[in-house]
Amino acid sequence: MDLMAIAQGIEASGIATAIRDSIYAGPIINVFHVIGVVLVFGTISIVDLRLLGFPGNGRSLSLVTHDLLKWTWIGFAVAAVTGVLMFTANATTFYINTEFRLKLVALALAGINMFIYELITARHADLWDKDVPTPTAAKLAGALSLIFWVAVIFLGRWIGYTKGFNFDIPVELDLENLF
Amino acid sequence: MRFFKSLLAAALSGAVAIAALTLPTQAHHSFAMFDGSQIKVFTGVVVRINPDANHLQIFFAPLDEERKAVLRNEAGEPVIWAVEMGGSAAVARDGISVNGFPPGTIFSTGLHPLRNGQPAGDRGSSGLFKCPEKTPPAAGMHCDSVEGSTAHGEGVMPQEGALAEEYNPDAQ
Repeated sequence: MDLMAIAQGIEASGIATAIRDSIYAGPIINVFHVIGVVLVFGTISIVDLRLLGFPGNGRSLSLVTHDLLKWTWIGFAVAAVTGVLMFTANATTFYINTEFRLKLVALALAGINMFIYELITARHADLWDKDVPTPTAAKLAGALSLIFWVAVIFLGRWIGYTKGFNFDIPVELDLENLF
Repeated sequence: MRFFKSLLAAALSGAVAIAALTLPTQAHHSFAMFDGSQIKVFTGVVVRINPDANHLQIFFAPLDEERKAVLRNEAGEPVIWAVEMGGSAAVARDGISVNGFPPGTIFSTGLHPLRNGQPAGDRGSSGLFKCPEKTPPAAGMHCDSVEGSTAHGEGVMPQEGALAEEYNPDAQ
């Protein structure tokens, strides 16, 4: 499967052209991407800190997650949709960008960490819901989540500074028989 | 519900603020990476476009002086250069886009080269002209001399070499 050809196809699509050619679409999509990311990190980091025992264990973990995680998912949905739109407009450049690839890896790691916590670690979470220190596995999940999400934000912002003049994309035009 | 309204209001005002900030389509970073006292003039063949929101870049294979084949390095490999200009939405208004300049398009422009030696530069205030399909200019000439060529944006084809006055985009 030629991923570069797929990226080229996405970039040539009507929606990609519409985003590129509009003065307003790019910045507005970008703003909502940032709002989505802020919502994800702002809420997930409070849950992560609670898992780590900050500021304490006095507030019920189930209440904290119940109140916050729905906002995490709303933020994630906003960030995902806007992220896909931004990728669409310039797919080939993102595809070859190392920081973009690393960001996807960090996102995947954050997801795997979440699934391990939800499916295994949190099975007996009712035993350490309130006024009891969280087990080491839960603390580890919280710490890893913070690290992975900071990495996602760091790499995401770094993309903007690294997709400059990139001569790595192979030339597909037949330069021998031009005319 | 009040919370949703506040969130929506904050999001919308943020979006409007950013949109307003991006309205002037000038370069968003310093021009210092480019040598504004030099200009290189090319007629070349588009190999790829990076339609970046901040700066559209055209990657191209410069044509030789005869305008019959692409330039090659000592190893015989085609030489690739890149020219950067305004954001993709801004230059789309001049007809410069992924669709308007597909691979194989012959065009001419001038650029202020990067100071770090990479084969790339900023278009600055140079004109940009597209030749008719598969119709390169005569030897030593540029697309602005070809009948049926189109101008994309303001400016004329500059003279190659050192400029009398350093190019300063902020003074435009």
